[in-house]
Amino acid sequence: MFEEPYRWVEAVENRRQYLDEQFRQGSPVVALSYEKGILLLTGSRGTPKLYEIYDRIGLGGMGHPADLEKLRFSLLEMAHLEGFNRSPSDVTGSRLVKYGLAPVIKQAFEEIFKAPFIVKMLLAELGHTSQKDCFLTINYDGAFEEGGACAALASTSAIQAQMVAYVKKESEAIPGSLPEAMDLAVRAWALGSLAQLKEQEDETRPTEKPTLDTGTTPSTTVSPDRNILLTHLRAAMSEQTIESAILERNTPGSSRYRPLDPHELTRLLPKGLPSPVN
Amino acid sequence: MQGDFLQLLKEQGYQFGVAGVARETQAGEAEIIRGTTILAMKYQGGVLVAGDRRATAGNTVMYDRTDKVLELDRNSVMAIAGVPATAYEMVRVLEHSFKYYRRTQLQELSFEGKLRAVSKLLKDNVAAALAGTGAVAPIFAGFDREQGLAKIYFYDILGAEFEGVEYAVSGSGSPTIRGILHYQNLWGAQSLAEQGEEDAMILALRLLTCAAEFDSATGGVNYEASLYPIVKLITGDGVRTVEDERMKSLFEQNVVRHV
Repeated sequence: MFEEPYRWVEAVENRRQYLDEQFRQGSPVVALSYEKGILLLTGSRGTPKLYEIYDRIGLGGMGHPADLEKLRFSLLEMAHLEGFNRSPSDVTGSRLVKYGLAPVIKQAFEEIFKAPFIVKMLLAELGHTSQKDCFLTINYDGAFEEGGACAALASTSAIQAQMVAYVKKESEAIPGSLPEAMDLAVRAWALGSLAQLKEQEDETRPTEKPTLDTGTTPSTTVSPDRNILLTHLRAAMSEQTIESAILERNTPGSSRYRPLDPHELTRLLPKGLPSPVN
Repeated sequence: MQGDFLQLLKEQGYQFGVAGVARETQAGEAEIIRGTTILAMKYQGGVLVAGDRRATAGNTVMYDRTDKVLELDRNSVMAIAGVPATAYEMVRVLEHSFKYYRRTQLQELSFEGKLRAVSKLLKDNVAAALAGTGAVAPIFAGFDREQGLAKIYFYDILGAEFEGVEYAVSGSGSPTIRGILHYQNLWGAQSLAEQGEEDAMILALRLLTCAAEFDSATGGVNYEASLYPIVKLITGDGVRTVEDERMKSLFEQNVVRHV
């Protein structure tokens, strides 16, 4: 029955709805540049969501852990083979995503008889200066975006855009230090998380469906008030913990990725949060 | 095997240790492939690894700024003696293998695992080693996080692994200094493991100067050209390279004899 083109379009549309549903509960991911590196941050319920891919590349993901693992392994294979056979400086996030990841994800998404990958991924690549930092996000359908300064993953692209806009608005120049970057990242994460929560509430409320969401004026705009965001962060931390990693610009050795340990996180996070140290 | 980078490379058609045409080795050839001096020894803080910087082919000095003490990761170092092409390739494979393991398995490869990786590569290289085109006899030193101490291992060209309890040496200049290390460890003012960091660095400089005195394939110190051996210190904090400035002042104060 899928031979008819319009059935196929319908099937893809159903698949979109199904996938959107899967990310509803997910924890947003934020990555942003600061003077001395890149900070990645997300909330975690046990399974890690931030990973090291190569010397200067970090990964953040949302979705099904098994799918994320599978794609993470293929990224690692690509990166290490390239780095060994050519050179570490030839391994770039942009090539990994455009020629490696995106075609695979897109194909799985459109092959309607097979299961799609339930993932959204973010690659952060450390440059020699913050202007050279590069961020890529890729959606479950294989569509990717590339940009500088910051990037985010959330349940919908409207919320992602909202988070990115928030980061850009809050800091005209990029943050100078890690504590400043952390302060901004947790707020952006809280904004995304709160927007996701609002969206869920809106959908469960039995009102008529709002007019088509154009993406520019999301129906779930969240007030970017600092206190509201921090209050939400505190509430969210009762069932999640903050997971965070950095890519360091000026550190000896070739591997620049480092997860922040619980003690460092306790020092950096806003006060009044449950400590990640047990 | 999960997280095995060498396996992944082989699946892509990569071959490590390709034997050249096997032929009779001629007298003196073994000397050529071992033209160097590298050493590792214990000291109070951990392990010191040092190597001269000369690369030779027969009687010719090819290069005087070779780095033979190479960092595999933050906690381990390999010093190489033998055919440089094979040795550098080994280092590249090992470096990527350790990283690949850590990133895929989300934990550091154990110290034992790293030792095995070196052995395996040498074993793959046996044919080349016997053909005379790729013999390597490295020293591996690193900090074992499980036991909380720095250790030294050395290998023969076929991949047999030996633990150097106090010290290890390799290369054409090594016979000269092996005896000195043995003597120093047994009857010196203090055993090797008791010496302080500065004493260890001075001893390393003196040993390489001795090796260069009797072995033409060892570079030693070239004071006029400000060329000093590479010296790395392995401690609980990781691997640290001693700066040339420090080498220079230690050399001037403790090695040079103005007669």
